[in-house]
Amino acid sequence: MRDHGMGRIAITGASSFLGERLLRRLIREGYADDLVVIDVAEPSISEGSIRFRKVDLTEPAADQAMLDLLKADGIETVVHMAFFTNPRRDTTNAHELESIGTLAVLAAAAAANVKNFVMRSFTFVYGARGQNPALIREETPLPPRAPLSWLRDKVEAEEHAASFARRYPEMAVRVLRFAPLLGPSVRTFYTRIFDRRLVPTLLGYDPLFQLLHPDDAEEALMLGVFSSTRGAFNITPRGVLSLSTAIHLSGKVPAPVPHLAAYWGVDALYAAGLVEAPSGFIDYVRYPCVADGEKAKRVLDFEARHSSRESLDSYIAYRHPIADVAGAGDEDAEDSDVPSAPVEILR
Amino acid sequence: MTATPRVLPFETKASRAARTRRAKTAAAQEKEDLKRRVEELEAKLRAAQGRRMPEGLAIELTRLFAAGLSGISWDRVARLLAAAHFAWHSEETDEFGYDPKFTETIRPFLEFMYSVWWRVETTGIERVPSTGPTLVVANHSGVLPWDGPMINVALRHEHPARRHCRMLALDMFALLPFLAPLLSRSGAIRANPENAVRILERGELVGVFPEGVKGVGKPFKNRYKLARFGRGGFVRIALKTGATIIPTAVVGAEEIHPNLAQADFIGRPFGLPYFPLTPTFPWLGLLGTIPFPTKWSIDFGEPLDLSRYPKEAADDPILVNRLSEQVRQQIQTAIDGRLARRRSIWFG
Repeated sequence: MRDHGMGRIAITGASSFLGERLLRRLIREGYADDLVVIDVAEPSISEGSIRFRKVDLTEPAADQAMLDLLKADGIETVVHMAFFTNPRRDTTNAHELESIGTLAVLAAAAAANVKNFVMRSFTFVYGARGQNPALIREETPLPPRAPLSWLRDKVEAEEHAASFARRYPEMAVRVLRFAPLLGPSVRTFYTRIFDRRLVPTLLGYDPLFQLLHPDDAEEALMLGVFSSTRGAFNITPRGVLSLSTAIHLSGKVPAPVPHLAAYWGVDALYAAGLVEAPSGFIDYVRYPCVADGEKAKRVLDFEARHSSRESLDSYIAYRHPIADVAGAGDEDAEDSDVPSAPVEILR
Repeated sequence: MTATPRVLPFETKASRAARTRRAKTAAAQEKEDLKRRVEELEAKLRAAQGRRMPEGLAIELTRLFAAGLSGISWDRVARLLAAAHFAWHSEETDEFGYDPKFTETIRPFLEFMYSVWWRVETTGIERVPSTGPTLVVANHSGVLPWDGPMINVALRHEHPARRHCRMLALDMFALLPFLAPLLSRSGAIRANPENAVRILERGELVGVFPEGVKGVGKPFKNRYKLARFGRGGFVRIALKTGATIIPTAVVGAEEIHPNLAQADFIGRPFGLPYFPLTPTFPWLGLLGTIPFPTKWSIDFGEPLDLSRYPKEAADDPILVNRLSEQVRQQIQTAIDGRLARRRSIWFG
């Protein structure tokens, strides 16, 4: 089972949405013997054959624990996916995990002579800025000292990865920046906002979005893991979708709010615990943050099968299934069963 | 159904039986066809409902009226709003947000402004190539950027290739609420070298106002005096992509909103780059944003040939600045010529 040339694979953050998909896929393709899951809790789909190692990346000696582990298991590829998609109220803990935790994993990987380091990231790291080009390329500098702690931690993790890539050229560091996911069984803070009948928007703004289907994300992740390239890659769907189009296509009612009121209002509501995300995220419905997937196509040979529109359609079909429509989204219906019955797939 | 025979023919038993059999099978066939058709339509309807595809605005409105007050529900409101939205917006845009349906919808209004309101006189349109990357470089004026859409209409209507011009919009316009989606839907892109290069590499036509905010917001006393052409970014882009530069002079736009005095401190809290005081704005409120019906002219000048420079010339700041200055001079000369011939602001 060593013919794939990636050696043993260690996965952090395997309980995340994408982490779980990757884990299942790897097991399905017969890599179960080569997998080591490093996490604080055993993943819910764990079977006897998967090695699970408990390491808390927020602890001070996490790097030493990681190093011992990587050496003991003879790991050659580390897939680092321990990131929060949803904003955390405990920003200190998020910072410890995402920024300092990434540093620990990188340091341990470099010291253990790991050959491949694959990190999950977000196209949101470019930040939503008016000055962004219409399609952001990978070499665009990331915003320094972003006021949004969610974004700042991710940017710091990216900076750590870039600095290790420079200092340890023998370790191939690949960073996969995923466009926001939308599709069957995706549940995040933005899908919860979108699930309501009234979807808040900003008065006079209508930015473009990319929505990546989870199947495409999984495919890109596999290509990213079993590759020998280096650098950052935007993982994007085909096409873009404006916010107003998305709202009207899914039968929602937009509730436009003036942007000045929105920033204050959301801050107040967030402080009161009534909304999930701080006001910094409003920038993402104000300015575009659309990434260019050309490099992933050229270098990783990744091409999304779903367009943003199709991702949205699949999500709507999953959230609002229409019982009497024969054949409407068969494929999606199957996908949505995955989280509830993972065992069937594994056996 | 078979038609009833006008003349009753003499029939044998056998022929009558055959006829009724034929009629029966034909009727059955027709019934079958109809049934299949109904099933098809029903499936289509269900699929449309399943995808929550909005139907036409008229259909939705009729439904709402038919249902009356009791029929108002979230779903119905959402469908009505969606129908209203998609009545003049496409479902798909390109990656810059260009929406062909929206552009078509507002076109009659822009055409009215072009041919009736400002009676634009366009010359030199034959100098604009029909294909390939082209950069139309023009002077910017008028407080509100009306010159952009007018150049667009000119190229669309007067040029035989009916070229669509992608305007590079200043960040300040491209980021303002309401104006931002309006600009991107009608095909403008944020002025940014990366965006411009991307569009030009596709062989499209790009319009640019290198004066930027210094041009469009200049005080009335400085009218028709071209401001500095940025840092020559447009020349660098043209050298990189091998685009043809068409220096273009717009006369008449300076007087549509005479910018008599600036009160920028009022606009700043609202994110406005400047706040002009014109004879009508802000005194008449929204009426003050109606531009004066001056007489316009758009003169497309001699193309600037950059083919003798290699791509690397884009990195030579002295050359870039010289070419930029050359274009500026050419536009200024064209404007001065026009102004010398112009008798009246209103009638040309």
